[in-house]
Amino acid sequence: MNLKGFFVTTLQTALDLQIATPDDILKHVTPDVLAEVLPRPLWARLLTACLGAPRVDATLVIETVGVPNLCEHVPAPLIWACIADIASRSLGRESTDEPIVLRPKATTMPPPPPQPSSSRSTPLTAPPPDVIARPPSPLASVPRGPSIPTPTATPAGTGTTSLNDIVAELEADAAREERISSAPPSRVRTPTQSRFRQSQTAGGVGRLAQNSARRPQAAAMTPTAPTMTPTPSRGARRGETEVEEAETETAVAKTGGEDWRSSLAVEDEQLVDWQSAEETVTTADDIGDRKR
Amino acid sequence: MMESGLENQIFQPSDVLAHATPDVLASHLPAELLSKVLQASLAAGSMTPERVLETVTPEVMARHLPHEVLWACIAAAAARAGVTNTVVS
Repeated sequence: MNLKGFFVTTLQTALDLQIATPDDILKHVTPDVLAEVLPRPLWARLLTACLGAPRVDATLVIETVGVPNLCEHVPAPLIWACIADIASRSLGRESTDEPIVLRPKATTMPPPPPQPSSSRSTPLTAPPPDVIARPPSPLASVPRGPSIPTPTATPAGTGTTSLNDIVAELEADAAREERISSAPPSRVRTPTQSRFRQSQTAGGVGRLAQNSARRPQAAAMTPTAPTMTPTPSRGARRGETEVEEAETETAVAKTGGEDWRSSLAVEDEQLVDWQSAEETVTTADDIGDRKR
Repeated sequence: MMESGLENQIFQPSDVLAHATPDVLASHLPAELLSKVLQASLAAGSMTPERVLETVTPEVMARHLPHEVLWACIAAAAARAGVTNTVVS
């Protein structure tokens, strides 16, 4: 380890770059130190230079003695103290007598400990909501209603695929409703649950409405449920109304508390005798005309 | 003798340092005296024979410097004054 060579390079470079001044060196390498450690020939050279120079200052002393001679004869702790002082000043720190730290200190401050709520100031941003652990619901295992589709990982923009799933699920849920009709209707729709992704279903619900097998069923339930009363504006907003019609089946199933199919029961008087009604009699001529 | 020659201006401080050269001073003066000389010079901004002799007094020179050096200084001054023709180197 060439410690003296390191000191020579450091001090000489610092002097050349004007990071350090000769005064900085003589601040530590005092004349007393020089008198103790410098060889007498060097002292003679120094005295000669000083006597012949118009001005005697630290620059003259350092240039006369020379940095290599200084680093050669001055004790290393003194040279290091000089270098440390210069470095501290260059880094904008006050030159103190603090011990040399081999490992850098942490630049980031640890977060302050939490203070009592009484003295805590209001944060700039609202804190995140607390996580509410919901107790397991007895109906957790019960599948969702036909109007609430199971969230799927359908990519955005693929509304057709999700609608197919919805239709399939609606049909499957209709069958499940019969099985779970005995369960109490305690499930309450939460407003946070999205009903339908309307932006994606607006274009595809039309195909759902075209399902001819389900349209008459929905129309037949309108007298029993007030929510299913058709409004004049329904025809104009086709996309959303179809969704609501799909939900009305669920509403009937839930509000009725019994099988919705039972609400379709008709009295015997309402039955039409197809054979005796004249308007329903079909003759062979009519059939022939229709075929033509 | 050295002090008297200086007071009586037989020789000047520069004449003293012409014999008591820096090599001689550096070789024979103690370290603390060298330090004082340098400190006084740095504080004053210059190192003159007078300032050196303020620190390195005739008594100090007589104590630390070789007497041959001091005698050569005195003899040279006497020769310059025409007291003797002996040239002291």
